[in-house]
Amino acid sequence: MEKEAELGEKEFEQMVRALPSDAVKELLSHGVCTRCIFRLFGLQGPVYASPPSLSSLFDATQQDCLCTLCLGILQFTYSNVQNDNLPLLIADMVKRQAYQFDTFSLEVSIPPIIIDDVNFLCSYMKTKYGSQPWFQENLHSGCISTKDALKFSLIYPLQNLLECKSNMGPFRIRLTYTHTKGNDKSSDCAAETCKRRKIGEPSIVGERSFSSTLENDSSDCCKFLLEKANEPCHFTYSCYRTPFYFGGRYLKYSRNVSQTRWIIDDERMGEASVEEIIGGNILQACQGDSFKFHAAGREDIDVRMLGPGRPFLVEVQNGRHIPSELFVKDIEKTINKMENKLVRVKNLKLVGSDGWNLMREGEAEKQKQYAALVWISRPLKDEDIQCVSSLKDLKVLQRTPIRVLHRRSPLEREKIIHWMKTETIAGSSQYFLLHLCTQAGTYIKEFVHGDLGRTHPSIGSILGCRAEILQLDVTDIKMECFLT
Amino acid sequence: MSTINKDHIVDESNRSETKLVEEEEEEEDLQKLLVPDVQNLPLIPPSAVETNFATYFALDFMKPAHDQYVYRHANGLCVIGLAPSHVAFKDEGGITAVDFNVGKSDRSGMKVTGKRKKNAQHFESNTALCKISTKNDSYIVRCCVKGSLLEVNQQLIKQPELLNVSAYREGYIAIIMPKPADWLKVKASLVSLQEYKKLREVN
Repeated sequence: MEKEAELGEKEFEQMVRALPSDAVKELLSHGVCTRCIFRLFGLQGPVYASPPSLSSLFDATQQDCLCTLCLGILQFTYSNVQNDNLPLLIADMVKRQAYQFDTFSLEVSIPPIIIDDVNFLCSYMKTKYGSQPWFQENLHSGCISTKDALKFSLIYPLQNLLECKSNMGPFRIRLTYTHTKGNDKSSDCAAETCKRRKIGEPSIVGERSFSSTLENDSSDCCKFLLEKANEPCHFTYSCYRTPFYFGGRYLKYSRNVSQTRWIIDDERMGEASVEEIIGGNILQACQGDSFKFHAAGREDIDVRMLGPGRPFLVEVQNGRHIPSELFVKDIEKTINKMENKLVRVKNLKLVGSDGWNLMREGEAEKQKQYAALVWISRPLKDEDIQCVSSLKDLKVLQRTPIRVLHRRSPLEREKIIHWMKTETIAGSSQYFLLHLCTQAGTYIKEFVHGDLGRTHPSIGSILGCRAEILQLDVTDIKMECFLT
Repeated sequence: MSTINKDHIVDESNRSETKLVEEEEEEEDLQKLLVPDVQNLPLIPPSAVETNFATYFALDFMKPAHDQYVYRHANGLCVIGLAPSHVAFKDEGGITAVDFNVGKSDRSGMKVTGKRKKNAQHFESNTALCKISTKNDSYIVRCCVKGSLLEVNQQLIKQPELLNVSAYREGYIAIIMPKPADWLKVKASLVSLQEYKKLREVN
């Protein structure tokens, strides 16, 4: 491609001159545009960007009308836009949007009325010119679709205008063509035949297959060339960036901050949310349209998230800025320097879309560690401490807690408490810290107070007294992801 | 957070050392966050029931001294049980049996499933929930709240004594989910904990 791009006008002229003159003239007389003729003969590359004039090269008259094949798409003639310098128009739009990008790619969508089926065009060429010496000498190298021809026409000038290469990167320029007759099935014989062949229905000419139709009765199926094209397409263009992802771990220091924005009857629950604090900062830094926040599980609003933090992903939609490594660190610092210190971020980094799998991996099996502030209705004894710490992989039956029973299925679930440790608090005999490591999905508050006996055993039933939980903190989520 | 002198070139071993120091500091920070100041803790904290529910009472429900409690959770669910002043507790030996097989169906026989609470029976506030027996008498416990019966406390069948020792917790009778509008109507007929204490002269 690069070599071709360096070819001069002379070489383009030579390429075009090599096309069979009779066929070119005939196609021109049928109102086929220059770029469509190129694609019928399978030309490729930058020759499309500034095509030499066929009428002067072949001494023929080219009709100044809408191309019957591409309905103006390759002539840059549209119902709402008429601009010879389409690449400049697109490049200006892109530049106005202030995206940072180092490559771009084109996405083209064309209406079904356009005959873009390469096999169909090849059959047509074969039927029409199969007997010609140039065709038999294998000079015909297949046809190019409208989409590819359009890309050849635009990519080279756009690379110059945007000063970067085109490849399948995350920055996309989207060109959308629509046609008022896009859904009109009966208007075009060729389009009809084409469609029918695709869905495997018998063609209009009865039992004969499509290719035999072409071979035996070319005039019939080539009607599309005789029919004058009616209206040009409607053209819209825009650009966007595919989503990118930030991964990291968050800590939540407040008992009045929810993980996600939580509004009931127009009333906000909690003073802020982890989602808004982290996502909002990232979104602003990346100048995106919107973001989505995903985390590996969640904690209640009144539970702090401490220790190594909880893995999360922020998906940024249509970000204008590509964050560099340094920039990502800056976002992290910005969040961590916020005055209220509600939330902290660790190990923030850009991750691929595989961040999803990283986070979902082992999410269900993960172990979680908590610290609960517990009060019991009698003083804690040494034997209690020993009793609690001697229990390993304790099986607990939990009925769906009353506090969530209104929205969850009433079930009895078995969960495992892997280990427990008590930590006494100086100056109190009835309060202590309970450190415990449990299977994901264990309801800790209910394990402490027993939920009216609906969780069994519970700390209360184990110690044979009333147990109340005053505070709960998550101190570790044992997952590999985003630990560094 | 430790600050590293910018001019100082940190080699690998130093870096892992600073990492260790950081981890230790984080450990300390975590400890500080976790351990509460005893002075700020109440001598006796409010119980989970007190924190999570608003307590109401249905007094003399259909019969004198047939006092029941209704714990209303913020999510709308109601836990039904026997108030300390219920007449059954006055009988010698307390409650000896609980039978959910009252009315047209066994209240403990229906298995409610799914988020939508399929199979939940819809009951009026005066529908019978169970029959509790003492040595010489028996009493009918009623829903008090119109709504869907989500569960009954099956434990009571095997351990009716739970009612004598812990009627306000493990000895609850049932959980009912009323419609919001129905709840408002029911609520008007109930008395608050404060009024209850005044009316029944209990603490």
